[in-house]
Amino acid sequence: MTVAHPVTGAVGSSSRPRRRLQAPGLPWILPALVLGGGLIYYCIGYTGFLSTLNWDGASPDPQSVGLRNYTNLANDRLFWSALLHTALFFVVTFVLQTTIGVIFAVIMHSRIKLAVVYKVIIFVPVVLAPAIMAPVFRQIFAADGQFNWVLDHLGLGFLAQPWIGQESTALPVIMSITIWQWTGLTFVLYYAAMSQIDQSLIEAARIDGAGNIRTLVSIIWPELRGTTIALGILSAIGALKTFDIPWLVTVGGPNNSTQFLGTYIYQMTIQLAHVGYGAALSIVLLVIALVMAILLQVAARERAPRD
Amino acid sequence: MFEVRSRRSKVLLQLLATALVLPYLFPLIAMVQGSFAGAGWGNYQAVIAVPGFFQFFLNSAIIAAGVIVLVYVVTMLAAYGFAKLHIRFREVYFWMLLACLTLPEVVLLTPLFTTTQAIGLYNTYWAVILPLAALQVPFAVLLTRNFINGLPEEMFEAARVDGASSLRGFLYLVIPLTRPIAAAVLIFTLIGAWNDYLMPLVFLQSQDMQTITLVPQFFVGEFSNDQTKILASAVLTAIPEIVAYLCLQGLFERGLSAGAIK
Repeated sequence: MTVAHPVTGAVGSSSRPRRRLQAPGLPWILPALVLGGGLIYYCIGYTGFLSTLNWDGASPDPQSVGLRNYTNLANDRLFWSALLHTALFFVVTFVLQTTIGVIFAVIMHSRIKLAVVYKVIIFVPVVLAPAIMAPVFRQIFAADGQFNWVLDHLGLGFLAQPWIGQESTALPVIMSITIWQWTGLTFVLYYAAMSQIDQSLIEAARIDGAGNIRTLVSIIWPELRGTTIALGILSAIGALKTFDIPWLVTVGGPNNSTQFLGTYIYQMTIQLAHVGYGAALSIVLLVIALVMAILLQVAARERAPRD
Repeated sequence: MFEVRSRRSKVLLQLLATALVLPYLFPLIAMVQGSFAGAGWGNYQAVIAVPGFFQFFLNSAIIAAGVIVLVYVVTMLAAYGFAKLHIRFREVYFWMLLACLTLPEVVLLTPLFTTTQAIGLYNTYWAVILPLAALQVPFAVLLTRNFINGLPEEMFEAARVDGASSLRGFLYLVIPLTRPIAAAVLIFTLIGAWNDYLMPLVFLQSQDMQTITLVPQFFVGEFSNDQTKILASAVLTAIPEIVAYLCLQGLFERGLSAGAIK
């Protein structure tokens, strides 16, 4: 779980007038560069090299194959479907989390009883490890699990099915677990953003006769743009990093229907020992993540005339 | 935000909130209820009786502590350097660090695997601590740098005029003044390290080194898929996290959302 992401992207590069008086700073940033940058760039470089090999991870003389891993990748149906799952997963989880998060934040700003209890319940999943919750969700969505039990008692027993055991429902299960886990964070961010909204704006809308829904859609929602963009970037990167939940709940199955790039790379590299191919997949994943982050940042800046 | 005057709409809003929150509560209830199925407390006794169960907690704590110390030291030094000292090509270095934020963990697997084996770090705490810290540092530096940039320049100027070295400036100005942001860094680093699954999975082979995120998997083997005991172990491993959150609610919420708020 890396929730963290530089959505603000603020780099205060104010050039200071008396720069010469400042002591040299390179030694100060060196540890961070060595640890953060060094280790990571070393790994990326190493992965790049591995991606040109046909190697099982153990044999002493791996065979160099140039860019063949990459050309194979373009024709790999599983790679493209993993990418498609990631895109679908991002759209669905982002839209639902945003919707629930905003509604919940508005309600919590509206003088409601037991607000603290609600807040704790919705935020607790954020701090729990996906790896620990995975067996719980396997149990809940099993054919004889609690989810079907609830459906049964709501009179919806005809909807009961083996949720994680069939292709059509496995991906939605993975999505719902992710939504369960991250809505708390979305909510807290929107909650904080809403307390910054100028109350006179809302009062003016009310005087003009706007109802609750109208105020939410026309006044509150546009004021939350910054937060929404931030969360969008966060979810997009998060979707590309997805590993724990699909791996532990469905192992990418059934029939690869919950295969993500992370799980596919893990299977290729560790289980099937196609280390070279796994490395090529890693590099592609990295490039996609970088390009995406840059595009989203640029788009966010261009569309922000007022900020 | 919503204006609810009439009694009826107040009740409606409360009902809506309850309906929204129930699906979030449901898995937690299912977890606790499932852990008591069959043998009741016996499930918990069986889990606790497994030799080395508490070792998992200890290992997670050691790794989290290691990551936090490393991230804190490295971040404070670098953020100060970036924000207040003279560095040629400063922004180039900074963006090099920031680019690492998009990095998925899985990309690190093979290189780290072969390298840790070659230098003898495989199956040691360091094999997990170092990459986890490396993954957290870029974001921590971004946050802390922004924070230090916001501190008044005059203060540092005055310290310099009074003859304080940059080391003294760091010790007597930066360290005390950055406490609020340090708390945020501490929390998200803690959560990131404590909850990580992939690194311990790949780099910690012997069972007495493994972390709590590997507990469910361990119990699948130990209890040959007895779900009730696996759920009991899930409850036991979730408790410290929930207690920590309840004790430090504000800190957790601020720390984890620091990513999106400036």
